[in-house]
Amino acid sequence: MINGTVVDLSRVQFAATALYHFLFVPLTLGLAFLLAAMETVYVTTGKPIYKQMAQFWGKLFMINFALGVATGLTMEFQFGTNWSFYSGFIGDIFGAPLAIEGLMAFFMESTFVGLMVFGWERLSKGQHLAVTWLVAFAANLSALWILVANSFMQDPAGATFDPFTMRMQLTSFRKLIFSPDAQSKFVHTSIAGYVTAAVFVTGVSAFYLLRKRHIPLAKRSLRMAVLFGVLATIGVITLGDALGFVAGRVQPTKLAAMEGLWKSESAPMPFNLIAFPSQREQKDYDAVQVPDLLSLLVTHSLGGTVLGVDALERRAQRRIEQGIPAVQALHVLARDPTNAAALAQFDAHRRDLGYGFLLQRYAPNLSQATAAQVRAAARDTIPFVAAVFWSFRVMVGLGLLMLAFFVLAALYSLRDVVQNKRWFLRAAVWMIPVPFLANECGWLVAELGRQPWTVFDVLPTWMSASTHSVAYMVFSLIGFLGLYSIFIVIELYLLVRAIRHGPAEPGGSGAPQGGHAPLAGGAVPAAAYGNKAEG
Amino acid sequence: MRTFLYFLLFMFLAVAVTILAAILGYEGAWYFAWLIGTAMLVLISAAGGALLDAQEASAAEAGREQS
Repeated sequence: MINGTVVDLSRVQFAATALYHFLFVPLTLGLAFLLAAMETVYVTTGKPIYKQMAQFWGKLFMINFALGVATGLTMEFQFGTNWSFYSGFIGDIFGAPLAIEGLMAFFMESTFVGLMVFGWERLSKGQHLAVTWLVAFAANLSALWILVANSFMQDPAGATFDPFTMRMQLTSFRKLIFSPDAQSKFVHTSIAGYVTAAVFVTGVSAFYLLRKRHIPLAKRSLRMAVLFGVLATIGVITLGDALGFVAGRVQPTKLAAMEGLWKSESAPMPFNLIAFPSQREQKDYDAVQVPDLLSLLVTHSLGGTVLGVDALERRAQRRIEQGIPAVQALHVLARDPTNAAALAQFDAHRRDLGYGFLLQRYAPNLSQATAAQVRAAARDTIPFVAAVFWSFRVMVGLGLLMLAFFVLAALYSLRDVVQNKRWFLRAAVWMIPVPFLANECGWLVAELGRQPWTVFDVLPTWMSASTHSVAYMVFSLIGFLGLYSIFIVIELYLLVRAIRHGPAEPGGSGAPQGGHAPLAGGAVPAAAYGNKAEG
Repeated sequence: MRTFLYFLLFMFLAVAVTILAAILGYEGAWYFAWLIGTAMLVLISAAGGALLDAQEASAAEAGREQS
């Protein structure tokens, strides 16, 4: 049996690398489309200010893109090094979208990124615009395949376990890519990236407006980002609702943890606005509730009910008992694949195979499993409620904060008075870390809520890891944390340096400018930066 | 001839988009919404920039008339 400490260290290592990586990815996803928007205006109007914007934000995009790639490469290797049983068990399914991501989306993205950066003087305006759009689509296509793979871990659609090869095999690629979880997760994550980029561009533009530098560029960037951001935030919230709806059907334990719902109640059910869940006592302390809201949010009906932890544990106990014959039949088939009785027994209980695996953690010999061991395994099916509950609330709270921020920003920008609202500009700079924190919390909800499974209802986490030593895992974990921390410092240093340096002025050296442009709304002569001198 | 080739290209794109929309609309409504929504976000964002140009030009014009 795999050492539990090794499994925990493998989880920490993957979580740490994924959380680091996920600091870079969302900004890439969103900034690419904002670049496409800026360059579209440049090509359609011919005004050089928009080219300057696309080039400046493109430089920041490239810094972030390079470090995103560097942090992402190691993650795929971790599946093989730290999660070898998992990789062998579901590699036939999981490998397909990851291979497509590498061969199609990432290669496409990398190729066109090169053209985007070095092609300003070599391509026509239309060709360069097409390249920028392709970079944006390829970056999001890359995210699509990664999230299709991730969604299989949340809702294993389109695959079945083969008792002769002892691994999962793909039965329907269509079901894999069109599963409701894959769809809603991709759109939710992609648009969260749009929001991240919008907050980033708004914050940096606000910084320039506060310093009275690059005012035409900052005002236009801010205007475009806030309109992009306000609509994207509405989209993120809509898709978050869709994901909750999907989770209620395919991952009820995750939903119960998100809501701190220990007991099943009759409809309409109250929503825990704030609570302090106790896993040991299975109750919430100091809960502040909104009546009827949970039924409405999760089932879109006042008459809908959501299963609590108590009912889910009872259901898990029944499935564990049903999973025991499946695992026992599998052991017989491993020795004698022609045993028809074992195959029939396996087929009758194959749906609960994963629950049989769960019990093996407590009872390696399933024929001697006790009722207490079954209850302990059933209790394991509930994720760490407090972490999921609070990650979810922080994510939602920050999402609502960003919606309010963008609505106000859009109002000020559309009235062309945002440059006079210094308190708002200061707040906009402080908002920059908010979407990054919300993204990290979203990742925690998705992945902590999936526990104790690597593939939900199919493969428990405890048996997915490789058989490394604790010393090896500690050593590699420290190495990763050190290396990735250096990456973060490099990213911040390069971004801050590029932002402080500012955009290259048309025909100038690109050095920072002093505050020479008037701040009053509409007082900047358009001809100063809006002529069509460039063909 | 050039117009005809452009016509063929755009007809091909129109048919491809129609087929894609039919498949995605049925099998992957959220993917379809993402495609449409992203295009809309980019265009509204771009329109916002162009609108700011017009607002500033109009304000500059008003300033010249007052002086």
